[in-house]
Amino acid sequence: MLFLRRTLPLLIAFIVGTLGILIYYIPHTAAQDLEQELARWDRIIAAFAMLLGIYSLMSLHLNRVKRQQGGWGYSFLVFLGFGLMILFSLYNDGLGPFKPQVADSGPFVWMFDNVQVPADATMFSILAFFIASAAYRTFRARTPEAAILLVSAIIVMLGRVPIGVLISDWIPWFSQWLMAVPNLAAKRGILLGVSLGAIATSLRIIFGIERSYLGGGE
Amino acid sequence: MTRDQIFFITSLFVFFVINIFLLATGSLSPDWAGLGTFIAAGITLSLYSFLYKDNPLFKFTENLYVGVAAAYTMNQVWYTVLLADVINPTFDLNGQTGGNHEWLLIFPVLLGLFMLTQLASDNISWLSRIAFAFVVGLGAGLAIPRTIAANVLAQMQPSMQPITADLAGFNLVVILVGVVTVLIYFFYSVEHTGAVGVASKVGIWFLMISFGASFGYTIMARLSLLIGRAGFLLEDWLNLQLPLF
Amino acid sequence: MKDFLINLDRRFIFIFVAIGVILPALTTFPLPIKPTANVRAIYNTIEEVAAQNGTVLISFDYGPGSMPEIQPMTLSVLRHCFSKKVKVVGMCLWPQAVGLVQQALDTTSKEFDAQYGTDYVFLGYKTGMHSLVINMGRDFQGTYPQDLQGNNTADLAVTQRIFGLKDFDYVICLAAGNTPDGVWIPYGQERYKFKFGIGCTAVMAPDQFPYLQSGQMNGLMGGLAGAAEYEKLINTPGTATDGMRPQSVVHVIIILFILLGNTIYFLYDRKKGGAK
Repeated sequence: MLFLRRTLPLLIAFIVGTLGILIYYIPHTAAQDLEQELARWDRIIAAFAMLLGIYSLMSLHLNRVKRQQGGWGYSFLVFLGFGLMILFSLYNDGLGPFKPQVADSGPFVWMFDNVQVPADATMFSILAFFIASAAYRTFRARTPEAAILLVSAIIVMLGRVPIGVLISDWIPWFSQWLMAVPNLAAKRGILLGVSLGAIATSLRIIFGIERSYLGGGE
Repeated sequence: MTRDQIFFITSLFVFFVINIFLLATGSLSPDWAGLGTFIAAGITLSLYSFLYKDNPLFKFTENLYVGVAAAYTMNQVWYTVLLADVINPTFDLNGQTGGNHEWLLIFPVLLGLFMLTQLASDNISWLSRIAFAFVVGLGAGLAIPRTIAANVLAQMQPSMQPITADLAGFNLVVILVGVVTVLIYFFYSVEHTGAVGVASKVGIWFLMISFGASFGYTIMARLSLLIGRAGFLLEDWLNLQLPLF
Repeated sequence: MKDFLINLDRRFIFIFVAIGVILPALTTFPLPIKPTANVRAIYNTIEEVAAQNGTVLISFDYGPGSMPEIQPMTLSVLRHCFSKKVKVVGMCLWPQAVGLVQQALDTTSKEFDAQYGTDYVFLGYKTGMHSLVINMGRDFQGTYPQDLQGNNTADLAVTQRIFGLKDFDYVICLAAGNTPDGVWIPYGQERYKFKFGIGCTAVMAPDQFPYLQSGQMNGLMGGLAGAAEYEKLINTPGTATDGMRPQSVVHVIIILFILLGNTIYFLYDRKKGGAK
């Protein structure tokens, strides 16, 4: 049983990981065909991963209702929204679930346009208020480094909007230089570091040293 | 009644009065499109009510949105992947594969079903490890050579260009100094004293410029989202012909 | 007054931000919008593709949460392509983009009388991210045998001669996530070396500059300002151009708040060791 629970998954990770590296360097048609098929399998499994996420969300809300945790009444709204949307999805503007989806009309598109879009857009736009509040309350030039950060932020904020041009032609030019030179240098340094770290982590996964993706237990 | 309850009820009343006025003047059409605009505006304002205080209307809208968004994703997964890439090629439901059934697809479907066992009982949840091992292992293997090529080699090469005696040359020097000093800053295995300390300090300055620029752009991004919502409320809901003055 | 300013209720700041957004939207005043070289590069590349009667692949990787920034870019790029008779193939790596892109295609195709199948094709969304790009790179029609409406891609005029990513004259990614640098560049552009330009949210824009300098990307539209610059280039002012007025005003408001906060800190709060 230990073989199936632990050794087999590590073996699979090692085999497909090594294949993934090798087929990049092998131009032979058989290797490229294998890469195509493995990527195709990966896409199909990714669809099930999204279903797992949705199942997990519904399961969370169901448990909340069962245990009558704080705010459990609101979980019925999650089921209501989900159920209604699924019904409209299956209806597919009259064509049913086994025909290509209709993306420009019907109740499903109506719900997307008038419920999901405004809700999603508004959720993110609330951050504008909080970022302004945070800028006033916590953005302090306590150290020389913080002062550099502050000055850089102000130059970029003025340089990227037309009002910067009205103040001086140098502001947008300097803002663009800041982005294209010192900012680029720092981002490239971070990118190199992160990439090397990602390569190291990927190797650890392939060789079975990193096993956290298997979850807890034996 | 508390002050907050009075404020909440008054706001709801004002919202409905505005909508009745818009309906009466023809700005809001008495059809599905008009109902949609009414609901969209209601959702927008109820979510914005969180800025005053967390309240039941905000929670109502938030939870409804979560359910709708989850179902939307499920819809996309069904029609564009499961139906188009699995069921139709395997069972030739739409007659487009000319009788060729791709039975090999049963294997990724099986792995996908294994993945779903993760939330099941301990007896079978171990099957999900096989699926995760495949996905994570393949992802790691595919990523390594491509990361080396695209994010390491392709990024190192332009940092080491020949330097010319003009602004472009000066910029290249600054970029090279910046990249090296930032990498030195992140190298924690060596103590940051002496020459390494100085280089590390210069790296921090580059990082601060970069974080300041990112902060400025983040403010810009968040404000753009707010401007978009304000535009919807003013033009699509209130039907104002902008500019007013 | 000093204590009031140090412990200012954040709802006062919210009110200033709200006024700063609403008032400029109700009025009009001229603001100069000067397209930058990075935005112009995308415009010029599409002009070159138009001269060759070429085909552009646009990957729409965003959702309603970033719609105010990216949707104006979508509309502008589609208008530019349709006005120059550049063939467009649209696809999505994010599921929430499908509905938004369908609206944009419906709007812009009517403006320029662009015909589905002959001038543009919409493939919709598929899972897989990097795996999808790997599959498309080598076998485009095998990956997308049908478009979103169920038509065979081998039969449509726009896609019948597209067999892999190399067959596209330009690939544009309009993104709110890490798809340009995390998916398209390592899994697509690195191998097939196609011309690649992006439009992205302002949050992501600073991270893309290394790829611009290395030549892996040839153009960048960053945020609402980038969208406004593109609207200026195609001479079709839209929501992005209108958005520059409130954007400018609120930026000044926030800068003034930051300066006020620092002034109070240096005058009063520094001695006490920080704000509450």
